[in-house]
Amino acid sequence: MSAVRVAYYSPLPPSPSGIADYSALLLPALRERIDVAVAEPGKRPPRADIALYHIGNEPEAHGWIVDALRDQPGIVVLHEYVLHHLIAGITIGRGDGRAYLDAMERELGVTGRLLGLGVLDNLLPLLWETQPERFPLAGTVLDRAHGLIVHSRFVAERARAAGYDGRLWRVPHPAWPRPDVEPASDVGGDPLIGCFGHLNMNKRIPELLAAFASLRRSQPGARLLLAGPSGERFDLDRRLERLGLTDGVVRFPYLPESRMWSLMAACDVLVNTRFPTMGETSGSVIRALTLGKPLVVSDVGWFAELPDGVVLKVPVDELEVPMLEAAIGFAARHADELGRAAAAYVAREHSLERAADAYAAAIEVAAGGDAVDGQVLLRIAEAAAEVGHSDPSSLARAAFDAGIVE
Amino acid sequence: MRVAVCAPQVPFVRGGAEVMADDLVAALRSRGHEAELVTIPFKWYPGSRVLDQAFLWRLVDLTESDGRTIDRVIATKFPAYCVRHPNKVVWVLHQFRQAYDYDRTELSQFSESPEDRATRRAVERLDAVALGEARRVFATSQNVAARLARYNGIQAEVLPHPPQSLPYRTAASEGFVLSVNRLDRAKRIDLLIGAVRSDPSLRAVIVGDGPDRDRLEGLAAGLNGQVEFVGVVDGDDLADLYARCLAVYYAPVDEDFGMVPFEAFLSEKPVLTTSDAGGPLEVVTDRETGIVVAPDVDEVARACAYLVGHVDEAQAWGRAGRAVAERVTWDACVDALLG
Repeated sequence: MSAVRVAYYSPLPPSPSGIADYSALLLPALRERIDVAVAEPGKRPPRADIALYHIGNEPEAHGWIVDALRDQPGIVVLHEYVLHHLIAGITIGRGDGRAYLDAMERELGVTGRLLGLGVLDNLLPLLWETQPERFPLAGTVLDRAHGLIVHSRFVAERARAAGYDGRLWRVPHPAWPRPDVEPASDVGGDPLIGCFGHLNMNKRIPELLAAFASLRRSQPGARLLLAGPSGERFDLDRRLERLGLTDGVVRFPYLPESRMWSLMAACDVLVNTRFPTMGETSGSVIRALTLGKPLVVSDVGWFAELPDGVVLKVPVDELEVPMLEAAIGFAARHADELGRAAAAYVAREHSLERAADAYAAAIEVAAGGDAVDGQVLLRIAEAAAEVGHSDPSSLARAAFDAGIVE
Repeated sequence: MRVAVCAPQVPFVRGGAEVMADDLVAALRSRGHEAELVTIPFKWYPGSRVLDQAFLWRLVDLTESDGRTIDRVIATKFPAYCVRHPNKVVWVLHQFRQAYDYDRTELSQFSESPEDRATRRAVERLDAVALGEARRVFATSQNVAARLARYNGIQAEVLPHPPQSLPYRTAASEGFVLSVNRLDRAKRIDLLIGAVRSDPSLRAVIVGDGPDRDRLEGLAAGLNGQVEFVGVVDGDDLADLYARCLAVYYAPVDEDFGMVPFEAFLSEKPVLTTSDAGGPLEVVTDRETGIVVAPDVDEVARACAYLVGHVDEAQAWGRAGRAVAERVTWDACVDALLG
């Protein structure tokens, strides 16, 4: 008999999705442990013992995956908790406003439906653009999850709070192997501060620019490297001009993978701040830690779960800008110490082998666990009944507490 | 102190684990403690039955007995260590190896079916709970401790246990190689039989019984008495065989630890083992307390022949082994387990 077979639903390269990169990293290691059949959009679902669906917030990348999940429940890998943009895309975006209203109602009852109607009638701003974190709309996905894989306690707690009571595994985001790259020699600064990823309000770019402008007054040699596309409604150039930073900032809107690693390696300090958080992890953060770079993050969501000695965490409050400036300065002065802690942490907690092991365990349990639990509980119930036990459910609880059944 | 020693029992089977549990109870009693062996029959197949057995232990209440508190529980093996107690100490002889290092080998009981895979994962989960709640976890060897660390992320303290109490003595070698083991495939007694078959000057005496006996006797057929199966023997006879042998063969696949090397050493006999034997390698040092060879018939044959041709060296290695075995005492074990 062959190994347990999983139908694997995920965007894959060349899809410009962080989850595609994630799957490209994970799949070879997972294939060493489990029989994997990769599903493709528009094709028949692969035959398998269990399906695994990677869900993120982009409708273009994940709409077809949610469709497949609706047809066949399975394990959901929830890469971020807030899915409003995804749900809007696969409901309103497909001309099915009623489905959007249903999703809003599932989340907030009648109030949700009324808010949804307000959106459909253009009486309210688009909630997925203005305040998605208040209306995550993850319920549509959680309702069909036969098991849930998350990367953070943050998402696990929200899923439980939303009523998800099935199996749940927390699997740390695996780290990429440390690439053999030379630090880029065409950029420099004293220090060189790097920020990688989409550049927008959520990434606290205005606060970063303000902190950097202040830092430059005491350290005129400092440079800020911004690598990534800027948001549609985020005029980065004008902001740089207004702050007098045009000569202190180096921009790289789009980068191939090897160049990105090389630029990252050249930086003295990396910054990855954000608020609000959608419950996401960050591939950029994992890459920065892998390189052993001192890193400054916001003290929110998954980022807050990173150990204190490994990253510097800046609270999102009225002191955010001065704290960010201070943290960058501190990180530059203690780069070796922070970098060593970062590399050790990522090797210990984010190993690819460990993540693949955890996936294999989750897949095997989700595929066969219900049958096994049923057999064990039936035998317990039969034995309890035969001796006239008055509370067989207490026995079932004991089995659950011991991990014998889930 | 009132101490319950918890160990599973496979009816009609008695091996090193059973001896060790009995000896632990005796050692505790001899030091003034009230000690009792608590056991439940263990049948680990088919399918998910292994989980039922673990659940039985989970239901056992050992917080008190007859109105008096039980101060400590010492559990030795899966699934006995699933028992609940506020002062549980686990001294791991071995886990349910079919779920770990035996998995996907010919020694595994779990197939690739989703149900079997999920059962195996349930054993992992159960170990995490049962061992995680223990006040202290000891392992009988580095090998067992390494498995706990590798598969379960549990750091165990290594605490070897002394061998069974026998009237150990030594006598002049009568030239045979002795095997003392349960007769099953994992013990690889077929390597020894193959070695004897390849060299008419070699002789072996095989002590023990088990499911592989018919096959092994078949392998030894036609060897004109070069291999003798003596079955299960009592303590006096066993000590006598140890005393008279040339060396002791002990080469299971990645054994947890095993008492046989210490028993051989207390009889001042060297041990012949293999480089993949696991626990025995922690005390059998090549050319110091025995011979370590690759798990191969020809290699085992060459090692046996070397011992036959170098009796003085064999005696010296056996004497060196005695010093190793004498360092492990019940006093140290009891102090650690009750500490």
